[in-house]
Amino acid sequence: MTSYEQRMSPNSKVMFESLFKADILVLIKNRRSLVLGIILPLIILATTNGHKAQQRLGGSLLLVGLAITYGLMSTSMLGYALSIARDRDAGVFQRLRVTPAPTWMIMTSRLTIQAIANLIIALLVVIVGTSIYHLTLTLTQYAMVLAISILGGAMFLSIGQAMVGLLKSSETVNAAGRIVFAGLILLGLLGFSGVLGGTLESIATWSPVGTVMTLFSGVMNPSKWTGHDSLSLLVTFGYIACFASLGIRWFRWDTH
Amino acid sequence: MTELQRRDNSSILEVRNLTVAYGTKIAVDNVNLEIRHGEIFGLLGPNGAGKTSILSSIEALIKPRSGQVLIEGIDIIDNSQRVKAMIGVQLQATSFQSELTIRQIVRLYAGLYGVKLTLQRINERLEETGILNEAGKPFKDLSGGQQQRLALLIAVIHNPVLLLLDEPTSGLDPQSRRQLWRRIEHIRQSGGSILLTTHSMEEAQTVCDRVAIIDHGKLLTCDTPRHLIEKHKDDIRVQKVAHGDVTLEDVFIGLTGSEIRD
Repeated sequence: MTSYEQRMSPNSKVMFESLFKADILVLIKNRRSLVLGIILPLIILATTNGHKAQQRLGGSLLLVGLAITYGLMSTSMLGYALSIARDRDAGVFQRLRVTPAPTWMIMTSRLTIQAIANLIIALLVVIVGTSIYHLTLTLTQYAMVLAISILGGAMFLSIGQAMVGLLKSSETVNAAGRIVFAGLILLGLLGFSGVLGGTLESIATWSPVGTVMTLFSGVMNPSKWTGHDSLSLLVTFGYIACFASLGIRWFRWDTH
Repeated sequence: MTELQRRDNSSILEVRNLTVAYGTKIAVDNVNLEIRHGEIFGLLGPNGAGKTSILSSIEALIKPRSGQVLIEGIDIIDNSQRVKAMIGVQLQATSFQSELTIRQIVRLYAGLYGVKLTLQRINERLEETGILNEAGKPFKDLSGGQQQRLALLIAVIHNPVLLLLDEPTSGLDPQSRRQLWRRIEHIRQSGGSILLTTHSMEEAQTVCDRVAIIDHGKLLTCDTPRHLIEKHKDDIRVQKVAHGDVTLEDVFIGLTGSEIRD
């Protein structure tokens, strides 16, 4: 192939590989959100490692689910959304968009890396969680946990995408991300325990955090899978569709 | 007529009846431009005149309301990916991922343009650009001049047929500016054509074969710097602002007005 032909038609595989490698490097060098995504669940597991706490918060399986959910939330909503907002502010996306790489490829590379990070977090947390709580999971259960991690991660990524779609500056995304994150944590921890009453418990159950936690505890104990679990699955898909539509429809590559 | 002569006489870029609007605001109003092979063409205009909007349309970053942009006869709107592989771009505010080193940035963009570069070749390119010693540093650690040199290196990494430079020398010291001009001239001598926007009349006169002055989205005039002065030196608006011999800056201010734009 001559250099002119190369210029006319850069190979999609080569373009994606280049983006993917760069995004891996960015994730590794910017590991604060990844570390937070692992540390936070481990703190939850460690601090709830008591019979009373486990009972109050719905049992050990639900707690492992809660820990993974918070890990996914922190990397997807804070890490992903903020990195997208900052790169958009700085003009990184505009520079990438003037290359032959299609925009879907730029985003797919980022999302794939984030999905892999989510899987690593989920796997680590479930291994530590089952060890702390002396739980035994089959290979199928592990596979199901990872599948729900992908689903839950996708939901929190879609929330992050909606934030960068609806909010322009990285400062606003950062502030809004922290508020939503704190709100969802409190809703999960306090709402689920029932200490704030039945209404808040219902809201917590059908919130993004609640549906994912329900799914985690459902797949870790599949013999007790109920209609409520199936409905949670549907609601989770609904959240993904809703937030992703918002995030894609209103996303702007440039803030100026 | 030889292929070389045909290419020299033909257009590399044609902008036809281009109109760009942001909501109800018309940023570019029915502009026509033509750039020939091997030409350095300057786009002059006050802030908000529509220079960057024209460039963004050519780069396929924005979709014009109407009109056509053809590069080597290929419509940018219908073939954006193909055309993007043919052009090199240096944006007004270039930024790369802050976590990547210079060497990693070069590798990334070479890959995006389908250019295979070995480590040795990357180092050679960085050495030619005078930033080999900074190869392990992130972009933000480079000086303004070094950042511009890297941005230009990335813009020409795939040997584009047309190079678009949006205010390439803004914020540079005179030494860096002169060096960049030499690089631009070198790119032209290697067969490239260049479209640049600038606020510097000195730059337009020194570097550009032809310049166009635009304001409020409209093309006011277009010619070689010398002919522009000849053409407009007797214009009453130009006479009013000239002190002594009429310069390109007098023509520019005469045609676009003296009020300050934000």
